[in-house]
Amino acid sequence: MAKVIVAHGEILSKNGDINIARLKNIVIKSLRSLFDNLALKEVLLQIFPRPGKVGVKINTIAGKKLSTRPEVALTLSQILAENHPGLSRIIIWDRTNRELKKAGYRLQQRGKIQVFGTDTKGVGYESKLTMTTNIGSLFSHIQSKFIHHSLSLAILKDHGLAGVTAGLKNYFGAIHNPNKYHDQNCDPFVAELCTTPPIKAKHRLTIIDALLVQFHRGPSYHPRWASRENKLIFSLDPVAADHVGWQIIDQLRRRAGLPSLAEENRPPRYLHTAEALGLGHTSTNMEILEVEG
Amino acid sequence: MALFGPRALPEICRDLDALEIPPQLSKVEARYYQKLPDKEIECQLCPRQCRLGNKERGYCGVRENSEGTYYTLVYGKACSVHVDPIEKKPFFHFYPGQITLSLATAGCNVNCKFCQNWEISQVRPEQVHHFDFPPRMVVDTAKKYDCPIIAYTYTEPVVFYEYMVDTAKLGRRAGLKSVVVTGGHINPEPLEELISVVEAIKVDLKSFTQDFYDQYVRGKLQPVLEAIKKIAASPIWLEIVYLVIPTLNDSVKEIKNLSRWIKAEVGPDVPLHFSRFHPMYLLRNLPPTPISTLERAHQIAREEGLNYVYIGNVPGHQAESTYCPRCGTLLIKRWGFEVSKINLKDGKCPQCQTPIPGIWD
Repeated sequence: MAKVIVAHGEILSKNGDINIARLKNIVIKSLRSLFDNLALKEVLLQIFPRPGKVGVKINTIAGKKLSTRPEVALTLSQILAENHPGLSRIIIWDRTNRELKKAGYRLQQRGKIQVFGTDTKGVGYESKLTMTTNIGSLFSHIQSKFIHHSLSLAILKDHGLAGVTAGLKNYFGAIHNPNKYHDQNCDPFVAELCTTPPIKAKHRLTIIDALLVQFHRGPSYHPRWASRENKLIFSLDPVAADHVGWQIIDQLRRRAGLPSLAEENRPPRYLHTAEALGLGHTSTNMEILEVEG
Repeated sequence: MALFGPRALPEICRDLDALEIPPQLSKVEARYYQKLPDKEIECQLCPRQCRLGNKERGYCGVRENSEGTYYTLVYGKACSVHVDPIEKKPFFHFYPGQITLSLATAGCNVNCKFCQNWEISQVRPEQVHHFDFPPRMVVDTAKKYDCPIIAYTYTEPVVFYEYMVDTAKLGRRAGLKSVVVTGGHINPEPLEELISVVEAIKVDLKSFTQDFYDQYVRGKLQPVLEAIKKIAASPIWLEIVYLVIPTLNDSVKEIKNLSRWIKAEVGPDVPLHFSRFHPMYLLRNLPPTPISTLERAHQIAREEGLNYVYIGNVPGHQAESTYCPRCGTLLIKRWGFEVSKINLKDGKCPQCQTPIPGIWD
């Protein structure tokens, strides 16, 4: 049974400011809720049982308004760094330094918490292809070599082709050729990519930033169809987390009088493929807990 | 007629090294797209017709929507530049023995599992070294190295359409010819403009079934066939290459259907090259094509009435050479990309006077 935490609190204000104290409180509360309120340090040992480096894969493609917020990524990283002595480094990363900077991140290649893109000099992509039936891609060295544990810290958005972009699809940013995998609502590509060893063997946790949700005309930012939801989704099950994200998008669409993603013939089909491939669960095997903060 | 074999030009490499710059992309407005509400666009260059939101790139990875305007990121950004014999493209009936200044940018609008150049075709422009090589410099370089022909090749030239068209126009004014090596995945309107500025197009027809295009190309067959027919009906020169992949597109039935279609829709005189496959990219579990399979394909196509059928990627094979379809006289002798003998008189067989279609002089 998959457990999904949907945390809610006044984190993102109307003028775009983030209440860091409340954010930190909610993140800790949600992480503890994943494990029946175990102490935070115990929780982190459950998620990261072995020491090593953690990659926090964020999504910064859509600029400052609609990327994983730096405050969220840094607060989370700080919590990990302060409460798990075995985590020697936490790398917040995405495809390019340009996109990271545009999303409001300050690049940092020293210290315990680092921020940089795959295009940083000396990083780059593997030269050997990772292959499945439908995938043939070069992985970012960050995902394949630099880290031992991977955390998908995605942003929740409607996606014109995929239906929904959230935790699983966030890993498209870990390969060199995501543009080749958007046919057929990204199915089976998103799911198959997540079965490859650099992701499947390292993925530990999905957190979805749903503070501001683009529920229509995504993945780019359109204020008319973006809703301040002030939610964060946590799950050890990457499929379940995305499934909950999908439901949030469809609720917002209904509220706005828009057809559902299924009615627009673009439900995130890759979630069912992901379930069939053993990556997680969709609605039938899921417990959703709400956390207020 | 000047005859050249492949030759190394270290000087050109040095020149180009000097031009290498940190990966900076172009931002030149693309042609053939439609602006849509909410800063979306629809690309109308190729049959994919990618519909893209702000900040998104097309399937090709080299064209990007920025605030509702569509840009090519590779205008004047060549990632591969070489001097090649025209036979390497291959063109066998178009200025045989001539050399070409051949160039490519990153990107492709399909994803063939057997791509020979995937390191440059299946990447984004920022993931590959490239040169700042604008059209004027291409033309000047071609002249400097005595290349009468510019070839747009290696990756998929359709994705660097604007760069190719502008270079071809400039080249024509300077007395240079332009040839295109393409998968033929292009919409009719841009193809029409392309036809008006180049002298020859070679189309890689990957298979004769949609199933193969679905599984191994990620593209559509019908638009490619339409493109071939359009080129054949135009004044420019056309050749067709068919890469024969063991067990996947080499059945007698498929080769027969292909040959019949070419004869009926394009005509019996279009050169058809059956090329040998070598394991590459995502298709490494198959052996190289047996020579006997290529010879069988060659025989089928000849029996179906095609006059100029070649076998490629098998250096030294007799089907690399051109023979008179009427009397069998050897007209152009080739070994690999080398032309060692041209035995044509005013574009005709010297024995029986049969006109041999092509652009010879």
